[in-house]
Amino acid sequence: MVNVADKQSLKSFVDTSSAEIKYFESLREEAKKLLEIRPFPTKRDEEWRFTDLKSISNGYFKPIIKDQLDTALNLDEYHLPEAKKSRLVFINGHYSQGHSCIEGLPDGVIVDTITNNENHPKVKEYLAKITNYTDDVFVPLNDLSFNDGTFIYVPKEVEIEQPIHILNVFTNMEVAYFATPRVLFVGEMYSKATIIEEHVGLAQNQYLNIPVNEFRLYSGAHVHHARIQRDSKQATHISRPIAMLDAHAEYHSYTICLGAKLFRNEPRVIQNAAEVDFTVDGLVLIDGDQIADTHSIMDHRYSYGNSHQLHKVVVNDQAHSIFNGKIFVAKDAQKIDSFQENRNLLISDDAKVNTKPQLEIFADDVRCSHGATIGQLQDEEVFYLQSRGLTEQKSRELLVYAFALESVESMAVKSVEELLLREVIAYTNRD
Amino acid sequence: MSEETKALESMIGEEYKYGFTTDVEYEDFPKGLNEEIIKELSQRKEEPEWMLEFRLKSYRAWKEMEEPEWFNATYKKPDFENLLYYSAPKKRPTLDSLDEVDPNIRETYEKLGIPLEEQKMLAGVAVDAVFDSVSIFTSFKEKLAEAGVIFCSMSEAIKEHPELVKKYIGSVVPARDNFYAALNSAVFSDGSFCYIPKNTKCPMELSTYFRINNMESGQFERTLIVAEEGASVSYLEGCTAPMYDENQLHAAVVELVALDRADIKYSTIQNWYSGDEEGKGGIYNFVTKRGICKGAHSKISWTQLETGSAVTLKYPSVILQGDHSIGEFYSVAVTTKKQQADTGTKMIHLGKNTRSTIISKGISAGESNNSYRGEVKIGKKATGSKNYSVCDSMLIGQTCGAHTFPYISSENASSSVEHEATTSRVGEEQIFYLMQRGISEQDAISMIINGFVKDVLKELPLEFAVEANKLLDIKLEGSVG
Repeated sequence: MVNVADKQSLKSFVDTSSAEIKYFESLREEAKKLLEIRPFPTKRDEEWRFTDLKSISNGYFKPIIKDQLDTALNLDEYHLPEAKKSRLVFINGHYSQGHSCIEGLPDGVIVDTITNNENHPKVKEYLAKITNYTDDVFVPLNDLSFNDGTFIYVPKEVEIEQPIHILNVFTNMEVAYFATPRVLFVGEMYSKATIIEEHVGLAQNQYLNIPVNEFRLYSGAHVHHARIQRDSKQATHISRPIAMLDAHAEYHSYTICLGAKLFRNEPRVIQNAAEVDFTVDGLVLIDGDQIADTHSIMDHRYSYGNSHQLHKVVVNDQAHSIFNGKIFVAKDAQKIDSFQENRNLLISDDAKVNTKPQLEIFADDVRCSHGATIGQLQDEEVFYLQSRGLTEQKSRELLVYAFALESVESMAVKSVEELLLREVIAYTNRD
Repeated sequence: MSEETKALESMIGEEYKYGFTTDVEYEDFPKGLNEEIIKELSQRKEEPEWMLEFRLKSYRAWKEMEEPEWFNATYKKPDFENLLYYSAPKKRPTLDSLDEVDPNIRETYEKLGIPLEEQKMLAGVAVDAVFDSVSIFTSFKEKLAEAGVIFCSMSEAIKEHPELVKKYIGSVVPARDNFYAALNSAVFSDGSFCYIPKNTKCPMELSTYFRINNMESGQFERTLIVAEEGASVSYLEGCTAPMYDENQLHAAVVELVALDRADIKYSTIQNWYSGDEEGKGGIYNFVTKRGICKGAHSKISWTQLETGSAVTLKYPSVILQGDHSIGEFYSVAVTTKKQQADTGTKMIHLGKNTRSTIISKGISAGESNNSYRGEVKIGKKATGSKNYSVCDSMLIGQTCGAHTFPYISSENASSSVEHEATTSRVGEEQIFYLMQRGISEQDAISMIINGFVKDVLKELPLEFAVEANKLLDIKLEGSVG
């Protein structure tokens, strides 16, 4: 039995006193109450068994005021050519109008801040309504503190051709700070969109990044969602992306983890009607003393769902990867076809992996399977490449590159794929 | 609901066949649990001082512990103050032949279909039959003694081989290990002790039949098997219990110790009363089973067929300490009606080049819940180790649940772990295919299920495999069998 009283509250690590209560007053009030009663997770909680949040609880994080931001910052190198006119930029969690560019989108499409759309019926209907993280402190913290956030609305049967680039950059400030990026996406029937959500740390400083995403897909809506996490290697990143799908909707998400000292990602997809198709893929490349933890839920509540999860991990140095993938199939949710695969590659003697693929099935006519492997590069493969004239070092690099390639190739946007290939090469070629 | 499902469900609704009780008088013993009770228990069993100390220490540890709740099952917690911690048949004769056994008890065995006498003799099986808590019959002792094998009840072992018991008891499952192991260490009634000396192959399969027969008597068996260097043994354990309304607690502890090149194979068939249609009654089976491969090149293999009990929490584990040691776990768990099973294994790799294999098959039907919970841990020094796990679940009907909770961790780059799990059902096409070959629907379903569990049942010793097949038939195929 865990005594609630002996756990500290999030408030002792995070200063929420100056959070802006300008918009969504009732949501902020509600969040404040939850933060007061919900205890901060510790390693004694099953869901946090392998992930120690001491790096947060030993620090103290302050919110950043918009006036402190450097609006003259040059971010050209982070621009995607495909998203030249469909880019939203957030600096330390604040919207930067000067860096953003939204032009020439189809009629009726909204790509803007949430606060500018405070009274939009879909914002009222769905903001903070889709997240279902029980006893969680990080969603309420985001609810309480998010500043502008992204609101994307795609009307019925509209396809946005250019990818929408949500660029979150984090600068070096004098204090350790926290940021709470927020995305609300609503795709109407048979709409189509590609979202590139990126988190980039510009320096090697300490900060706490707590993004929350809510995606609501109506019947037949189609979303490709790439999430690229290149935070500072001193940062802590705790993500809560959730998607809710109606009939015939398709949601494919790909999370690439490269940065952060501690990365905790909890993607969830909820099947809200029969016949949906979704993907919750991940690629984790970590080294040094990085910790990357993914706790995903694929929640099948109705019949005829197809879902797929490929979670690939490469761990070097003393890094530590944790994976817990849950597949739920509710009673009467028949004809579900769900597949989950977790492949871990350990390339140093001090690397560590904990994995727990998990099935919870309450319907009989389903096909659910998972596989998990932990291993290293095959000697035969290394030998084969050496016999072709490559050095052992090069052979190993090439094999790790090939291992990661499968996940990178799922990217729908060319420049993102190229960017990730450069990152993979930088990761594999260490000398 | 499809026709197949209906047919399956009707087969699975099979009543418990072994529900009967035997009238035997029991020695009076006060209910409840405290240090006085433990002293009394130890005194009645004429135990030496160190054993009483072990029990008291365990009891004090237990008192500090909290009943676990992490598993995937809900049930009414046992009232530990209202349990009888000692029960032994009142007449306890020394026996030369089977004729001297209480006829009632013999009748029980016969109803269970246990061929205690000639049949086992022909099959070459020595039987140490445990009726409730005290061993009443031990056969083949002389033949075993010739080979130097010690096979006796735990009470006897404590008296006659104290140095061995003292050395190994609690060495694999420490008293403080968990709530139920601590309770067992404090109050264990009896059980089996087995010692195979150096370079000896046990001349026959050893087997113990457990029976729970006294209302409200918690059964706390304690089994210890030690295989010295180069020794090998195959041990069989089978269980059936009569029908009662009150939930009965069974918290056994089994410890296996394998030294250099030793080989222990431990097989279980568990078919205790699982409660009625409403889930009333039935046994709580909270067992701690663990083996340690202490020596290099040693091997421990667990095989289990779990079909009974209302609630089962059981994780036969292997600690692979010796280099090149091998751990195996083969399991079939069948749950029907309102049964809840949370079972699996732990493979803890500590030594170099250690290997482990896990094959787990779960079948859930009715309103039952079947969980596989396992842990594979490859330590930093366990270089070159390998694990391979498969856990498959089959669901029959729409009101049951199948769960898989495998914990896998690795801390070194030269080892590999492979885990896969699937959930499926008896395919309509499969049934159709067999039926168009002229096989009846019932036989078709039975063939498919037998195929599903084959990988595990083939690991059982021959004598047991027959019984296992029979049991599966009874559980899943209606009155046939």
